[in-house]
Amino acid sequence: MKWEKIGKIFDPTEHKLPNECREFAQAPQVLVFEDFVRVYFSTRKKDKTGKFLSHISFIDMDKEFRKIVNISSKTVIELGKLGCYDEHGIFPLNVLRDSNRILGYIGGWSRRVSVSIETSIGLAISKDNGLTFKRIGDGPVLSSTLHEPFLVGDPFVAIYNNKYYMWYIYGVSWIYCKATLSRERIYKIGYAVSDDGINWNKANRQIISDKLNREECQALPSVIYHKDMYHMVFCYRQATDFRKNRERSYRIGYAYSEDIHNWIRDDENVGIDLSPNGWDSDMMCYPHIFKCNDNIYLLYNGNEFGRYGFGLALLEE
Amino acid sequence: MFKWEKLGRIFNPLEITDRPWLKEFAQAPSVLIFEDFVRVYFSCRPPRDEKGQYVSYSAFVDLNRNNLFEIVDISRQPILKLGEPGTFDEFGTYPVSMIRSENGILAFYGGWTRCESVPFNVAIGMTISHDNGISFSKCGNGPVLSYTPDEPFILSGPKIRRFNSLWYLWYIAGKRWLWNNGKPEPVYKIRMAYSNDTVNWIKAGRDLIEDKLEVNECQASPDVFFFENRYHMFFCYRYSLNYRGREKGYRIGYAFSDDLQNWTRDDNKAGIDISEEGWDSEMLAYPHVFHLDGCLYMLYLGNEMGRYGFGLAILEEYKS
Repeated sequence: MKWEKIGKIFDPTEHKLPNECREFAQAPQVLVFEDFVRVYFSTRKKDKTGKFLSHISFIDMDKEFRKIVNISSKTVIELGKLGCYDEHGIFPLNVLRDSNRILGYIGGWSRRVSVSIETSIGLAISKDNGLTFKRIGDGPVLSSTLHEPFLVGDPFVAIYNNKYYMWYIYGVSWIYCKATLSRERIYKIGYAVSDDGINWNKANRQIISDKLNREECQALPSVIYHKDMYHMVFCYRQATDFRKNRERSYRIGYAYSEDIHNWIRDDENVGIDLSPNGWDSDMMCYPHIFKCNDNIYLLYNGNEFGRYGFGLALLEE
Repeated sequence: MFKWEKLGRIFNPLEITDRPWLKEFAQAPSVLIFEDFVRVYFSCRPPRDEKGQYVSYSAFVDLNRNNLFEIVDISRQPILKLGEPGTFDEFGTYPVSMIRSENGILAFYGGWTRCESVPFNVAIGMTISHDNGISFSKCGNGPVLSYTPDEPFILSGPKIRRFNSLWYLWYIAGKRWLWNNGKPEPVYKIRMAYSNDTVNWIKAGRDLIEDKLEVNECQASPDVFFFENRYHMFFCYRYSLNYRGREKGYRIGYAFSDDLQNWTRDDNKAGIDISEEGWDSEMLAYPHVFHLDGCLYMLYLGNEMGRYGFGLAILEEYKS
């Protein structure tokens, strides 16, 4: 693949967002309409304890991505109830059309005591063209199991041949980091298959091989079918010292598959990398690949995990 | 109608002084019957940590099969380790339920983690023993039964059974957290799932036992057995708030079923209630019923949720 960077297209600090969110526009996810493209993202406010809560907002852009034509003015989806898996944040909200409704898969976050967080994946449905979403229940549809013990998150769902496929990440360990005196998480990409989008069968295996080392963290898979092949972009990083160290921070990875089950990692051909300077010069993360007007685009976050927004690239080749 | 004769307290954890991890509580008894003895598993706790919080372990006492009031052995260490950091059972393995299988003795248990906004969450784990139930190793670091859209948190109190070659888990699922004087309190109801292989479970997806006290009634310890051509369930229930005393504390409830799916609650037939005084005068909780040598017995907890141990009753009379 070869991508042409179009540049940063949205900076949350330049706009007013619902739920008192000021910074961060992370994990952009697209729903293409006839006249515009809606981009959902996770943005943040601080609660009374000084910790972040992630809320979902969206912007609508014209289909050439030249200007923002609308910004969500209301809450798209409430955070989960007390004690629920998505009480402290939604990251991401992965959206797709399924006949006359829009499914929203929730990457739900809730805080823990011995480690910082736990995540699970839930489902919400929109019947008003994606303006608002309602959960099918207070609990998740995909959560920890015997061999995926925690941190099930980062859903990406697509329907192929009447089956629902979900790519997601699951935690394998919380390692102790002496530098930060805290536990850091390690997670890998897996997938599950479903007939109804609600009951899922996990494959129970890591589908993307490690490149950096066994402690490599892999996140936010995004899949597209193009030219008789399934293509996946994702991001990956070192397990520790990844926040400010450019050498260890997130990069975009790439894998392809002919049968949707077995994937070959091929980062050499991802065709996009850090800029020498500017908004995406320290890291690139949370990629989202999609088609619009016969073009293939990539949305992604740059420095500081998307504190100052997301950018766009166009597939050249 | 059941009629139980209370035989008295079997085990008081306060009398055990040489096991620091078995300092307080003996909760949720469940038995595994051996040729010469009856092994009663239960859950216990070391003293609170510096932050005032408990972890819980599970252990057993072996009772002489011919005299259940004679303790012949006590486990030397917990039967199961706490989970790794960040896992669902990092802070507790409570309660446990055992069953013999082709591969060994299977145990299902509630694994406890600590949360920020609410004090805890629970999911159900699976472990197996190959040494006659003295120690168990986990079948995975994650739970075998976890949260789903209408069972969002607190999956606990598993009871594993096998009827007609199908595996059944009765358990409780959280419904909501209530605020009570700035403290969250969970509401939970009795649920069921079944499986062909003990790993993949199909949830029935509904509350099995209708509420009696209030819509937020909490139900626990669904203990199912087959007796006299019918399935019976003893369980315990309480008010959702201010339940730590006699007035609103746990009592033992009863329901019956002919198909394992549909249950008729009829607490009047439970045939056991709190005593006038003594160790079970404020509450009765966590019933477990078992057959032994032609008799039907019930183990149960008394005051303060088993802080002072568990006792035994024997079935005196039954009329369907």
